[in-house]
Amino acid sequence: MSAEPHIEQPQTTSAAHNLLASVGEPILMIARTVREIFEMFSLTLYYVVRGRKRWPAIFEQMYDVGNRSILFIAVTLGFLGMILIFQAGNQALQITGDLQVLGGLFLQLLLREFAPTIAAMMIATRVATGMAAQIGSMVVTEQVDALQMCAAQPVDYLVVPRFIACTIMMVILTIFAVLVAYVCGAFTAYMAFNLNPRTFIDLGFITWFDPIIGLVKAFAYGMAIPIIACHAGLNVFGGSEGVGRATTQAVVNASLAVVILDFIISGLGYVVLGLL
Amino acid sequence: MQSIAAKLIRPLHGVGQSFNYWAFQIGGLCILMARIMVNMLPWRWQFDGPETWRNLYRVGVKSFPIVAVTALLTGAIMVIQSGLYIEQYGAYGLLGWGAGYTILREIGPIMIGLMFSGRVGANNTAELGTMKVTDQIDALRALAIDPIGYLVMPRFLAMIIMMFLLVVVGNFTALVGGAITSQLLLGVNMKLFAWSVITYVFLDDLFHGLIKAVAFGFAIAIISCHFGLNTQGGAVGVGRAVNASVVGSAIAIFVLDYIITFASM
Amino acid sequence: MIVVDNISKSHLGRPVLENVSIEIPEGTNLGLIGPGGAGKTLLLKIICGLVKPDSGKVTIGGIDVHKLGATQLADLRFRIGMLFQNYALFDFMNVADNIAFPLRQEGTLGELEIAERVKKALHDISLSTIGNRFPNELSGGMKKRVSFARAVIRQPPILFYDDPTAGLDPVISSKIFILLRTMQQERGTTAVTISHDIGGIKEICDFFAMIDRGQIIFHGNRDAIERCEIPLVMQFWRGFSDDDLDG
Repeated sequence: MSAEPHIEQPQTTSAAHNLLASVGEPILMIARTVREIFEMFSLTLYYVVRGRKRWPAIFEQMYDVGNRSILFIAVTLGFLGMILIFQAGNQALQITGDLQVLGGLFLQLLLREFAPTIAAMMIATRVATGMAAQIGSMVVTEQVDALQMCAAQPVDYLVVPRFIACTIMMVILTIFAVLVAYVCGAFTAYMAFNLNPRTFIDLGFITWFDPIIGLVKAFAYGMAIPIIACHAGLNVFGGSEGVGRATTQAVVNASLAVVILDFIISGLGYVVLGLL
Repeated sequence: MQSIAAKLIRPLHGVGQSFNYWAFQIGGLCILMARIMVNMLPWRWQFDGPETWRNLYRVGVKSFPIVAVTALLTGAIMVIQSGLYIEQYGAYGLLGWGAGYTILREIGPIMIGLMFSGRVGANNTAELGTMKVTDQIDALRALAIDPIGYLVMPRFLAMIIMMFLLVVVGNFTALVGGAITSQLLLGVNMKLFAWSVITYVFLDDLFHGLIKAVAFGFAIAIISCHFGLNTQGGAVGVGRAVNASVVGSAIAIFVLDYIITFASM
Repeated sequence: MIVVDNISKSHLGRPVLENVSIEIPEGTNLGLIGPGGAGKTLLLKIICGLVKPDSGKVTIGGIDVHKLGATQLADLRFRIGMLFQNYALFDFMNVADNIAFPLRQEGTLGELEIAERVKKALHDISLSTIGNRFPNELSGGMKKRVSFARAVIRQPPILFYDDPTAGLDPVISSKIFILLRTMQQERGTTAVTISHDIGGIKEICDFFAMIDRGQIIFHGNRDAIERCEIPLVMQFWRGFSDDDLDG
């Protein structure tokens, strides 16, 4: 469509105008993206409740999101567990010389913060790029138009199975992530600080609050990531360049959403815990 | 009988295939690294000033807002998480230490590295991949322009330099975010927070994080260029390459982080 | 009867279609020609409601396409078939499922009957044996024919063909045009055909329109286009150029 060069827009060149434009344009763009994402989210919820469930498609997506991420999550979260125990153990040795509470506190922090968030960051890179690339290339090759012409709604047909699958799998992967990181942490504590795994595995610090907030986070991330990825994918224009742009946008937006949701839920959790 | 044999072979086939895949990728990464090193030799040195400058701008300035937001929120989250313990023991003077130590040594470089890989690494793979599938790279070769010198080197340098600078800025932003949160949410005075950071957090901790930043920048540059230059198969291929690139970068970030942490003790 | 009334659309601040109006009477086939990037595909997508125009309206059988809700639009699309430029076959389904998809989506026929219809459709495009294969294993000509079978499986009264013979060799092209013509003669469908293959659409279309830079520069029947004096139309129709390429 762009065989001809762009027609120059008339420019009003006052410094104040330019400054305002350079600030306002990104803000407008961000506002529009956020609004579109929320619209898609509500449409998806509508179809989740009202639409026909396509279980084969959902299971296929669950396999894609879950089973195929297991190795990736295991490697990254395993290393994270080792790193954190290494750093924390060294610091604890220097300051208190006591490693008795290391395992218990580590488990608590894993549940509250690191396992859900880092696992979600990993899913945001692996799954969000995959979804955006897949749906984006469907848009580029007119398959999404063809879906619409066959009277199938793209949100119903493409987004809903991914949404359901990712939400379920995110919770499961978070539990898996806690286990992997904890086991690797215990191993490191034994190897580096000669800490007995029986001392390390300590559930004494855990209250009902810790697993609940971890699962709430996982649930929220699991809903946000597929919506953002599919939004990026469905808004592709242009050929392979457009697909590349969409995948980048998907991973950036999804990671940012994870960080922002983490901040909001952690803050709320802190306030709730203070009230109780 | 044949089908049973085929069923027995199939898992082996998968193993062999993924072995081939990994061997190809790791070998390709090593070759790319070697070619970059050869390009670094004084008598082979090719330096495209304007192109490097353009990449520094694109890599650094364009990803600054995202890194700043991420760092600000990460600092805030770290303060909230340590706040729960600090409150329990009433040791408000340790808040700055807890947040500062984790941010500077671990979480700052990791989070900024992951965002950098998503923003810059993915973008870079997509760009090089698009050039590859539209035959632009072959066109460069046909014009006797070395793609390593012209395309990879400026990106490589820009990514390492900018990752370093972004972590410096990001660490500072994260501490600011932590200070604001400690004041507003926990009611711990910002001055106490700052005092705690200055007293308990050492320059070593900062350098530890910065070494990681350089290593992550190096890994992201090599990985994103490698997957971009080996893209095949149109728009679908570009998507797949970006996916592989960010996954590879994430694994590299955690593995390198572990190695550096382990080596520095 | 399809009425396109004063449609305008711009993309990234650049006008792509400007005040396009055209009427397609019931049971006729309109041939749409024009240089690449003139807005032909976009016009087609606006007519079937895939893209919203900036201004103007499209009515199909008296119904304004762009004012319909999702379900009404779906109902309308049950009566429309479309053959896409890039095949647009779903690459995660095999050929038989691709062809059956519009019927399954409609949900009025049983699986047995759908299988029967798919078998007949595959037979009609003389590709009876490829039902279990996937689109990426097929050649361009086969994909075009499968895409055609999917477009007509619901036997819709309205059909849109976006470049049905792009990138195909002359033998396959003429086969496809024969398929289109039999479709037309048997069912009396209303159709729009975009093509660069003047020899082909000469045979199957009743009316012709030419778009250049987002505007209709010619609209009329076969006699009118034969006698047309506009240079660009003459060049297209007769397939030569007597001035510079960049004109």
